[in-house]
Amino acid sequence: MSDRPLSTLSSLAPPVLSALAGAGYETVQDLLSNSTPEQLSKDLNIPLPASQAVFSAAAGPSQRSLPMTQSAAAMMGTTAKQYSTACPPLDRLLGGGLKRGFILEINGPPGSGKEQMAATAVRTFVECDQQVLFVDMQNMVLPATIKRILMNSPTADPDGMDLVRYLAFHTTAEFVAFVRSLPAYLEANPSTALLVLNSLAFPFQPHTIKRFAMLDKLKQVLARACASMGLTVIITSQLTTKMLEGNGQPGSAPPGSKSVMIPSFRDSDFPPGRTYRVIIVPLTRTTGVIRLLSSPTHVPSRGQPAREEPYQRIRGMIS
Amino acid sequence: MRLQQFSPPLREDLVLALQDIGVRTEVDLILNEDPTAIFTRLPSALGISLLEFRRAVEKVTELASAVPTYGDKQQELENARHDEILRDDMLVGLPEVDALLGGFSPPRLVEISGDKGSGKTTLAMQVALRHLVTVSDSSVLWIDSSGEFAPERVSNMLDQMRGEYSASALERLQVSLAFDIEAVHEVLETLRESMASRNASSYSEFPTTRCIVLDSITPLLAPMLSATSSQGHAIMTTFVRQLRAFADSFSLAIIVINQSTKMLPRNPDAVFETARKPALGPSFTFMTDATLWLSRRPENADDGGSTMHVAEVTRSRISRSKTWAPFKIMNGLLTSA
Repeated sequence: MSDRPLSTLSSLAPPVLSALAGAGYETVQDLLSNSTPEQLSKDLNIPLPASQAVFSAAAGPSQRSLPMTQSAAAMMGTTAKQYSTACPPLDRLLGGGLKRGFILEINGPPGSGKEQMAATAVRTFVECDQQVLFVDMQNMVLPATIKRILMNSPTADPDGMDLVRYLAFHTTAEFVAFVRSLPAYLEANPSTALLVLNSLAFPFQPHTIKRFAMLDKLKQVLARACASMGLTVIITSQLTTKMLEGNGQPGSAPPGSKSVMIPSFRDSDFPPGRTYRVIIVPLTRTTGVIRLLSSPTHVPSRGQPAREEPYQRIRGMIS
Repeated sequence: MRLQQFSPPLREDLVLALQDIGVRTEVDLILNEDPTAIFTRLPSALGISLLEFRRAVEKVTELASAVPTYGDKQQELENARHDEILRDDMLVGLPEVDALLGGFSPPRLVEISGDKGSGKTTLAMQVALRHLVTVSDSSVLWIDSSGEFAPERVSNMLDQMRGEYSASALERLQVSLAFDIEAVHEVLETLRESMASRNASSYSEFPTTRCIVLDSITPLLAPMLSATSSQGHAIMTTFVRQLRAFADSFSLAIIVINQSTKMLPRNPDAVFETARKPALGPSFTFMTDATLWLSRRPENADDGGSTMHVAEVTRSRISRSKTWAPFKIMNGLLTSA
């Protein structure tokens, strides 16, 4: 029998709560030990179903163990299964593969093949019979491409395409609508194991207002989904161009100015404890390195060289 | 409290007659109207005289009033409790930082606040882990309200700590996900029931919870605080009072992590120049026992991958405030500066 105040049972309607307070019921113990639903309904002059709702809310959680709780040791154990990204240098940077509940962000210049990498990673999840939600924001990967990639594998299952849901949009407003409806979608489809956000920087053109608010909402939604249902997320982002030593007059580049391409998002835009950020750095037409920008356990600081893995392009990305 | 619930109980027929005319609680009886006015409304068939009614009202007043305590007895109790619990099992491990509040020994409700990246989660985690590796039969409940708990970081910190019981420490760190205030209430309720049943029986196979960390209370309560309605503030106050009562009755150390908001042009309470202050409004700091404000110092930042931080006590009812201590975070662990 507990001393929990009745006002904390927020699932009850305000009129019922004020009737309870007016009649002098303060804690759950007062209620449960002194009354029954029928007596309460007569006492407070409320209908019987409302009174029964009060009692079932007051009866509270009946399980012995805490809800939604596991020990830290168990959390490390369940995320042991690693999904290969079908790209060996990337797998090596991730320490074997991508685990459930983690976010992988791939940055890279145009034509570096990051969207292709994301699409190929879908194959691993489909082969393990997991549902995938593929969201494309710049028309880089069409459903036909995904189908071709899935059918290419030797263990192709014709029903594999049913596991992949495809969504395409391009504007900021649609992005906001997507982020708001994502929790409801995930609740309706709890077996979704992978979410791919392709070309995430596209809806956020530099002049987009409320950029921080939108990204913050995305980060919150992703953190909750990853923690509660072990959703894995692969994000590809384009790079943005930044002018150095220039006066930023649009359309004119003063002599002696340099422009660099940097990742569009910062480390703080993603949940820190579960994000891997990599960038593809092409050095020649067919070779280059993939560099690890940050990982859950280690943020490379200035002065310390970041981990890199060389790759070769052979009609895709294979080392 | 309802009139039926007083013990020794009042006259049954009197209570029923009062209920019929709408007087149900002691507040209705004593404070809302003059008792003589209530007497005139009672049915004469009851057969009670004004004198008896007045005596009944006096008895209710006596039963409903607060129990007095004497200052010197309170002081004795406090000293006894303080001596009994002056163990060193709930500390950060850095003498300067521990001296700020005298450690985190139960029963205590401490708020740790600061900007992003100032080391709040790391500090709370270090207290929890240090406790788990030095005491074998206790567990820590970590309530995660944003899904940002990372077991890899925890095991990284644990590897660098030395303690007798570090092998089982990860199993005794229970992590709950709670994305709104209702879910946190449920977690606390279940914990309360299990601890109450443990108190009843002397043997228990599960380790006792000695510490609760609520990582980020801000996303739970901030959306409800508004300038036009005080309901959010009432929910916040009830919740923190419950936490306090919880800490007292089960002898727990509760650490609440709070985020920060803007305060222009500058925060007058902080020792170092800053334009940030703890979130959740000016009254939140008075509901907890002490508020620690952590900030990151930019000087010699890249000294081998470590960062400098400062912890200051902005308000405390258990120690001196406006004191501060620097510390360093290297490899995810707090070390002395």
